[in-house]
Formats: sequence, C-alpha cells, structure tokens
Amino acid sequence: MKHLLLVLPLVFILLNQSLGQTVISGKVTDRKGEPLLGASIAIKGSYDGATSDSLGHFSFRTRKKDSVTISASYLGYEPEFQILVLKGGTLELHFKLKDAFNELNAVTITAGIFEASDSKRMVMLRPLDIVTTASGNADITAVMQLLPGSNRVGEQEGLFVRGGAAYETKTVIDGMIVQNPFFSSTPDVPQRGRFTPFMFKGMAFSTGGYSAQYGQALSSVLLLDTQDKVSDQSSTNVVAHLAGVGVGYTHKGAITGQLYYSNLAPFLKLVKTNIDFVTPPQGAGGSLTLNENLSKNSVLKMYVTYSDGGNTLGLPNYDDGGKIYQFKLRNRNLFTNNTYKVFFDEGKWIWQSGFSYSNNIDDINIGTTPGDRRDERSQVRSVLKRLWGKNQENSVLAGVEYHNILNSNLFGGYKASLEENYSTAFAETEFYLLTKLALRVGLRGEYTSILDRYNASPRFSAAYKTSQYSQVSFAMGQFYQTPEKNYLYTNRSLGYELANHFILNYQWSKSDRTFRVEAFDKEYKNLVREYQTTFDPNPYRFPTGATDNSGFGNAYGFDVFFRDKKTVRLADFWVTYSYLNTRRLFQNYPVEAMPIFSTTHNFSVVYKQFIPKISSNVGITYTYTSGRPYYDAANPVFLGDRTKSFQNVSIAASHIRNIKGSWLVFFMTLDNVLGRKNEFGFRYSSDGQSRFPVIPVTYRTLFFGVSMNISRHADVPKESKLDL
Amino acid sequence: MKRLLMYFLFGALNYGIISAQSADSQAPASTQKPEFVEAMTDVVADIQGAEFGEDLQPYANTLERIAAAEPKEWLPAYWGSFCYMIKSFTEPVVEKKDQYLENAEKLVATADALNPNNDEIEVLKANIASARMAVDPMNRWQKYVPISSAAIAKAKSINPLNPRIALHEAQGVFYTPEAYGGGKAKALPMIKGAIELYKAFKPTSPMMPNWGLDAAEYMLGEAQK
Repeated sequence: MKHLLLVLPLVFILLNQSLGQTVISGKVTDRKGEPLLGASIAIKGSYDGATSDSLGHFSFRTRKKDSVTISASYLGYEPEFQILVLKGGTLELHFKLKDAFNELNAVTITAGIFEASDSKRMVMLRPLDIVTTASGNADITAVMQLLPGSNRVGEQEGLFVRGGAAYETKTVIDGMIVQNPFFSSTPDVPQRGRFTPFMFKGMAFSTGGYSAQYGQALSSVLLLDTQDKVSDQSSTNVVAHLAGVGVGYTHKGAITGQLYYSNLAPFLKLVKTNIDFVTPPQGAGGSLTLNENLSKNSVLKMYVTYSDGGNTLGLPNYDDGGKIYQFKLRNRNLFTNNTYKVFFDEGKWIWQSGFSYSNNIDDINIGTTPGDRRDERSQVRSVLKRLWGKNQENSVLAGVEYHNILNSNLFGGYKASLEENYSTAFAETEFYLLTKLALRVGLRGEYTSILDRYNASPRFSAAYKTSQYSQVSFAMGQFYQTPEKNYLYTNRSLGYELANHFILNYQWSKSDRTFRVEAFDKEYKNLVREYQTTFDPNPYRFPTGATDNSGFGNAYGFDVFFRDKKTVRLADFWVTYSYLNTRRLFQNYPVEAMPIFSTTHNFSVVYKQFIPKISSNVGITYTYTSGRPYYDAANPVFLGDRTKSFQNVSIAASHIRNIKGSWLVFFMTLDNVLGRKNEFGFRYSSDGQSRFPVIPVTYRTLFFGVSMNISRHADVPKESKLDL
Repeated sequence: MKRLLMYFLFGALNYGIISAQSADSQAPASTQKPEFVEAMTDVVADIQGAEFGEDLQPYANTLERIAAAEPKEWLPAYWGSFCYMIKSFTEPVVEKKDQYLENAEKLVATADALNPNNDEIEVLKANIASARMAVDPMNRWQKYVPISSAAIAKAKSINPLNPRIALHEAQGVFYTPEAYGGGKAKALPMIKGAIELYKAFKPTSPMMPNWGLDAAEYMLGEAQK
C-alpha cells in the first residue's frame, strides 16, 4: 500500500505529460489586488474549472488542448476572459476583476434626500415604518418631522425644512403638485395630511438641492409615488377608531373604493382639550382609485377623492381680554390625479403624462363675519425619459408642465382674487462617469403670468463612493418660488423669491445599519418684505402694508442620523439630531431675526420592537426641540425671547390577530405620556399689553382603534410572517 | 486517499475507460453523456450531503460550468439555482441576499425553459419566492406570497405526491405564529404527512432532487417537544 501511494503520483505525472494534461493555477483578485473567495474559473465548453479559495488561489487540471477561453467570474464583478493555447505543463494566470455595475456597488445621490421605498433596497425607510412610528399618528408629515432637516411646529401643519416656512415645501404625487395636501387650516390647530401612507409605494423627503423636475419650493419637496398594481386579489377593509369609521373594497387589485365618516366627539369626550370645540370636527369623504396595467408596457393610474367636513372653534379674542369668539370652518375638497406611463423600445424610453385638478373651498365665519378661501388648480405634465448604458443606469429626461391656478379670498365685504398661468420646461441627465461616481445636471425654466417674469435655475448633484459601504454626495442649485398669494393679492409687481442651496453629505450603510451626516448652507434672496409702522405679531393677519422683494436670509447647520435594525432582533431604532442657525429679514420683520418657526436644536429617538410571542408591535418616540423665538414688545431685541423647550414621549402599540381567516389589527397610541405642558409661543393684543400662550390642542392624547381586513385569499398573509 | 481515488475515477472517466459502469447511476436517458451523469451525480451528492452553513459556492460554480457546457440539460441550472437559494439564507449581509436570489431566479428560469411543467422546478420557484420574502417579510409578502402560492399550486397539479410540496406548506404553518393561524401544533400533522411522502419518494436518478427530509425531521423534533 505504501509503495502504491508513492508510485501513484509518479504515474500521474507521467500520464499528464504524456497525455498533454495542463495544470492551470493562479489567483483571482479585485482591481486593488484583494483576493476574491468563491470566484468561478471555467474553460468555456467544458466541465473543467475551479473555485478560488480564501487567498484567491485556484488550481485545476484539464485535458483540453489547443486554443481555449478561460473565464473568471464572481458575483458583482465583470467576468474576465483569457484566450490561451494549452500544450500541457503548467500555466499561471492572474485575473483582476472589475466591479460590475449594480445596486450594491454603484453610488447613489443621497445629498438632500431621504427616501422611503419598497422597490429600492438601500433606502432607510419603508412606507410601513410610517404607521408603526409612535408620535407619527400614521401621518406622513408627522413622521417626516422625526427625520433630519425638519422641525416640528406644534401649532401649524406642514414641513418646516432647514429654516424654511411651511409654504416653502411642496407635496408632489406622481410628479404632480398637490394644491391642498393638508386638511384646511384653523388657527393654532395643526391639521393632518389628506393622504394615507398606504396609498404610496415610495416617499422621498428632500431637505434641499432637489431635482430640476420639481420647482416652486424654496426649501423642499415631499415626493409621493402611488402604489403599483401588485396582485389580482380582492379584499375588504373596515376600520373603526375614536374619531370615525371607514370602509374600503379593492376589486381584483385594480379598483379601490373607499368611504369614511369622521367625528371627533367620542375622542373629545375622553380627552381633555385646551381648545374649546363648539362643534366637534366631523366630515365624510370617499375616493376611487383605478390602477391597471393596460398592457405589458403601460400603466394607467386614476385617483379621485372628495371630502366635506368642518368644525367650530371657540377662540380667544386677543384684543378683548380673551373673550371667546367663534371660528367656523367648512371645507370641501375635490382632487383628482391621473397619470399614464408607457415604456417602449425594451424599456429604453419612458413617457409619462399626467393631468390633475383640485378644487378647495373653505367657508369661514369669524365671529359674525363671513368669509371664504378658494383654490383651484388644473395642471398637465408630460415627461419623456431615455435610459442608456450597459445596465441602463444613465438617463436623460425632458418635460413640460402647465398650471392654471385660481385663488380667491373673501372676508366681510373685501374680496381678493388671482389667476395665475404657470408653465415650465425642464431637462435633466443623471449619469455615471464611473461606477463610483455619479453626476446629475439639470436645468429648469419657468414663467408665470402673474409676475410676468421668467426664471432659469440650474441644479447639480454628484456622488462618489468612498468604500464598499460609504459615500459622499454633494448637491447645489437655485430654487425659485412665486410669492405667497396673500402678498400677490395686493401687489402684482413682485418678483420671484430665491434660495440657493449647498449640501454636503456622508453616508455609511451596511446590513440594516445606517449612519449619515449632512451639512448645508442655504441663502435666501428677494424675499417679500412688508412695511408697517408698528409690528403686528399676528401670524394670521392679512398683509395690508407696502411690499417689495428686498428681504433676505440664510440658514446653515448640519444633521446626524443613525439607524440600526440589526443589533436587537426584530427591533428598529433611529436617532436624529439637527442643528440649525438661521436669520431672516422678511414679511413684516423690522430687523433681521431668527424666524418664529425655527429651532436651533432638534433631537429625536425612535424605537420599535416586534414581539412575535404576543404578535404585537410596540414603539416609543422621544422628541426634544429647543425653544422657539417669540415676540415680546417689552424686549428691545426683536424676537429675542425663547419659549421653553418642547419635549414629548409617545408610545404606540399594535396587536395583530387572525380570526377565521380575517386579519384584525388593534392599535393604540398615547401621545405626551408624561403630560408635559409644552408651549409654542404667544399671541398678543394689538397694543402688546396682554398675551396668550399658544399651546397644544391636548396635553396628553389617547387614541385607539381597530382595522379588519377580509381577503378572499385569507391564507395569504400567514406566510408573510415566515421567519419574522 | 479518497480524493486521490476520486481523481483517478475522473481521469479514467475522461478516457471513457469505465464509461460502461456509469449505467450504475441509473441515467434516465441514454442520450446523456456518461461524464455528465458522473459529474452531476457527484456534485448533487455533495450538495445533498452538505452541512447547513457550508458554502455552496464551489458547487454552484461547478454546476454553472456544466450548465454552460450542456445547454440542453435542465438539472445543472436547477441545482445551481438551489445552491443560490440556500446561500441567501446563510449570507449575513442583507444586500447580498437579493443578489444570490437574483441568480437563483435566472437559473430556475433557464431550467424551466428547458423542462417546462416540472413539479420540482415549480417547488424551487416557490422556495425562491419565499426566500425573497424572508429578506424583508413585512414589506414583501404582498408581492411574493402570490408568486409562491401559484408555483406550489402548479406543482401540486403536476405531482401531488412530491414531498417538497408538503414540506413547503408545513414550513409555512410551522414558522407562522399561532396568533396568525400557524403554529407548531397545527404544523405537526402536515410535517408527519410530508415525512410519509419522503418515505415513499424514490428519485429516478441520484442527480434528481431528493432534498428536504432533514428539514422535515428537524421540524418534527421541534413540534413534538
């Protein structure tokens, strides 16, 4: 045996040489020379080959002769080929593989953008995260306020981004601007967004430096992409909670009809409010959605919704010792958004066009004085996009938009109205110079009839991948916006307001852990200034003084974000800190000052845990916002005072249960658990002598409800919890 | 010694010395080359004998080489796809899981094109869809559960006695919490049923799929605790 062992190799060596066997060995590395483990080395058309080891080495024998093609391939790299002539003996090969273009190693532009999406892998938020976040109340905007760059303004709806006012952020659904994304404003009572997060497959929240496809927003855009058709299933959904009931039915995944009735009376009975609701908010509405893949290459989406609701508030009259007067609002809103998308030439061309119409009517009674606000917007948009490159990773697009906007405001005997025709054209290209280096260059031109002026704004972004899991990204651009309608009612000779953004971002992301830090500088120009003999601190006043575009301002700062879904199993944790330094001379400010809606420090921590044993999700959110500037006539420094800090601890829990094939989700939230008496500022009598604090509608809020989903394929979501 | 012997066998095979002996491996079709049968039998034995956690990449590489050399055979693509599906479970980096599953989907589509209406291919498709979902269940069930269910339904219509169909269904219930209508107790009869089917199942050749019994036995042990 021993002899045999010694002899056998010898026999083989002899055999090899005599029969022309070739030993092929070598190494597979990446471009930097780092060994690749598990790469496949193959001779084309034969079984012969090997797999590289942890040092990148491989070795194998072949009986192939003459000219052969040897390849080395590895997931995520471009395969490499060598053509060789085999004549026996030993061959030493070195393959240096180049990174292939894919989502894992390609850089993406992250400066100024926060995405929540189902389709992209490397996003930080999923739409489902919106509904499971404590203190978010299943409201898109409320959750966005827990992300860096945005700060909470407790008495008003909207996104206040990096020193910007709420009007500087536009909400966009499938590319189309939404005229009234929130339920109608009432003084010092913030409103919810009109759209449920379940409508959308993706959301992107821009903190600045956004694409040339969007405009008319000095600070930010909130981009919402509606769901695609995912299945042919029919299902019924019923929801009941403290503030109302709703029912929805989806037919074969294509048509969805929804109806709701809301009434806050049960909620107001249970929770102590700081505001006197003379008649509790109530309303009814419905929506119809059609979502169909007309052919393999085209998608039609149609959405129409109508709602009617209102309430009466008892508000203090600041000039009459706080005597209560009634503020009555009835809101009717019709909105339809329709898009058609077609792909042709194997998906290399994408053409999307859309039409939307919105009509919003607010009938208001302030005391005994009747008034109204009306906004009507019709818009059309068409964008043609062409993809190119080996992986169709590059794109160029061009588009046009046209809007007709009618606004009017009636108060007592005074009526103001506006008609605006706004048109825009834009072009943008996004391309990779290297897999590691992406650029986006865009230009947008706008014209609006109401100012009778044109503008052109360039946009530029770049991103460079610094390592496998990290990248730096940069964005800059000019952003124009037509002044707010309240100023245009009285002065049509105003010009565009302008903001210039510069954003630098670093992001590290690996296996459900993300760290991100972003620094920004924003310069405001041509802001509308209003001249008054004495400062009127009432934010709801109608501007009557002379106005011009001589205002200006700036904002700079940084934010830090860390998210970890990995360390604790089935948990999700994120922490956000934003620092903001901003000053402005605008509106009726007599001197440059930090605006009342901005805060220097914003901090929040969100924690969520899924507990499979009791099939429940629990979450807690803590928010800290440093004091906001407020006006005090006694202080010689304009807006020199700060409120106490805003702090809030919220908890949320949901429990899911399957009863006879139907899905029941019980949910509960408790906002401001500790009952902290937060304040947002003060309102003054016009002589500045008496003041009234602006406080939340409730100090502590309890809310609960249940949602039931009945699907014909009742077994469907069971497996969804596989391995949860 | 074992390796040497293997090498000897391989070398001998290439010369066709023992080609006649390959008949032992019960090659289903006489058109299959003996070296194909031998290479496949070998790599399939290695895959089915692999410990959980063992890197299947070398086998996947071998299978892809065989697949490239034998473009009319569906089994190399099937097993290559299987390796990547398993790899997605052992891979710790979330982003890479999807890359493996993309490969698995490509290969199973190749196998399907070469051998349409095959129950084993449909079962594998169902497993890949479930693996896709397992990467991010909360957000993906809407898309992948219907794909998985459809593939299992098709497999059942072709061969209801395939034990891997019963295994996949039992796993679905086993890993679903009781509150969601699943649970170990509910899965127990399904697991037992699957094991019965495994006992009755005889692959037509050693390179045909014959995996899953160990997973069923593991679940049986857990469910009987």
